[in-house]
Amino acid sequence: MNIIETSGLGRRYGSSWALSECTLAIPEGHLVALVGPNGAGKSTLLNLVVGLTAPSVGELTVLGGVPAGSPAALDGIAFVAQDMPLYRHLSVADMLHLTRNLNRRFDTSLARRRLADLGISDKRRAGKLSGGQQAQLALTLALARHPRLLVLDEPTAPLDPLARHDFMASVLTAMADDGISVILSSHLLAELERVADYLVLISRGRVRLDGTIDELLDLHRLLTGRPDTCAEAGYSIIESVTSGAQMHRLVRLPSTDAPLPAGCESRPVGIEELTLAYLREVPAPPLAALTGVSR
Amino acid sequence: MTALAAAPNPSIRPIPWPRLGWVAWRQHRSTLVGAVALLAVIGLYLLIDGLRMRASYDAFLACTPANSPACQLAWQSFHDSFGSSGLIGVILMLLPGIIGAFAGAPILARELETGTFRYAWTQGAGRMRWATSELVTGAVGVAVLLAAFGTLVSWYNQPLVAAGIMPRLRATVFPATGVAAPGWALAGFALGVLAGLLWRRVLPALASACAAWFALAFLAGGLLRQNYLSPMTTTSLQLSNTDLTVGQWWTRGGLPVSNAEINSTLQAVGTHLDGSTSASVAHVGSAVDPVQYLLRHGYQQVTSYQPDSRYWPFQWIEFGWVAALSLLLLGATLWLLRRRSAR
Repeated sequence: MNIIETSGLGRRYGSSWALSECTLAIPEGHLVALVGPNGAGKSTLLNLVVGLTAPSVGELTVLGGVPAGSPAALDGIAFVAQDMPLYRHLSVADMLHLTRNLNRRFDTSLARRRLADLGISDKRRAGKLSGGQQAQLALTLALARHPRLLVLDEPTAPLDPLARHDFMASVLTAMADDGISVILSSHLLAELERVADYLVLISRGRVRLDGTIDELLDLHRLLTGRPDTCAEAGYSIIESVTSGAQMHRLVRLPSTDAPLPAGCESRPVGIEELTLAYLREVPAPPLAALTGVSR
Repeated sequence: MTALAAAPNPSIRPIPWPRLGWVAWRQHRSTLVGAVALLAVIGLYLLIDGLRMRASYDAFLACTPANSPACQLAWQSFHDSFGSSGLIGVILMLLPGIIGAFAGAPILARELETGTFRYAWTQGAGRMRWATSELVTGAVGVAVLLAAFGTLVSWYNQPLVAAGIMPRLRATVFPATGVAAPGWALAGFALGVLAGLLWRRVLPALASACAAWFALAFLAGGLLRQNYLSPMTTTSLQLSNTDLTVGQWWTRGGLPVSNAEINSTLQAVGTHLDGSTSASVAHVGSAVDPVQYLLRHGYQQVTSYQPDSRYWPFQWIEFGWVAALSLLLLGATLWLLRRRSAR
């Protein structure tokens, strides 16, 4: 079952496309890292998934064929938006009560236990909590709904390293306990590298790369050799650098079991190296208005 | 996996309304408390002043004989103390709209301004059910509060109405009393909610809702209300001071005559009409009473008016169209909200 499935999905604001030609089929059970530079269209894709935004073109279903934004989709998806919007003047207990009344399922005892473990008092106002505590409160409200898909938009951006670690630990525990799927956006791959097992790379409104991280690593090789002996024909070249007589090329193999090219040295690539190469790749359609990637 | 396979089943039981009502109440409790506090302060003033006014009016009514100097003094005292409503009259007239707009404008604007709509609209209830409950709770709250308030203002005004000092149909009195008050509060609320969705910020939404409400109230008082039912006409020169004059003109042989003709007739006695449109006639340095002069020469003064007895029919007519317009605005807001996409 695909937790998120899109086909030709696009969203336009005025005359510019925030997201276009997005076709994805993300199976359930993964922790999906949605990575891309600022303004690449990550939030647009997540807003579409949670039903805050309607598509301009294309198809989008969630939770195995449910239209995004439908009652069934809202019921099974919990969203923690960027900057953790909470009613700042309400107490933690009020936020719990509010969320319970807005949902069919709400595990009050789970929420209370989690908040007690975190040392967040019921009586404090949401606006008075520290950034890390606000993030944990927002996550607690989302998890207590027992969603099947948890959508997190740049959740760790405002957090210090310790709070960031604690937050990610909470997400991983919930994944292990409830078997939920998680999609998490960030402009930093580094912090997701160790936890995510599925990658969607997005830049300038387009998906550049998607798949499980293991599969992606198997599909790419860095070839080194002399241009006249290293025959890389038949492979898509993602990036090519020539230094002196040596040529370095990052290529994508047609399949994981494809034979490696003869006459060159071949080595596997790291995920960070891979994403940087894809982000540097100059896209064919001119989308110059959007923020590019600095080299 | 069996639970997942059953997922596309669309028969999700919606969240019950009482639970959503609690959410609306909890979110806007402080607004309600503020509105109640404001109305309580003004209401207390009206109650105390109203009781004093009644005592003064009762003293005048109990006074006999009616034309004695003592009774005239009692009348004078009542009239001087309570005859002109002043600032409080203006406040009472504007209050339904202001309270409505203050209650309505933040409902959507604050969510959009602070980003909490991303929380509220992604809960299991869904944005339309959430918004419907917020709007219905707010509208009912505002209408109930202002209905009580309109009743209190009507009670306060009663001696002034009975004494003929304050016609109930007067434009500055009518909308703050009876059922017109909750109607106008609903209009302020609906304008506030819609402006909040369009502006996405509380303060500009509040300002434009108040401005739009004032324009609508001004239009209703200045142009519409006097035509709810066709005005009655009379040739009597002395209209009851509880009735509301709509227009006055002169006729001769049953046909209206122009001001120019009246002026040329009056030239014979050296006077003219007061102003360009008014049919009332001024004494300008003439020994002859021009009205009597015109009457003697076959002219008749006709006055169109709305009698005091039409107060309640007019109240219900005004409540009817203002409330219908408010519901239309709220419906339009929900329609826009459904189509709205977050950036």
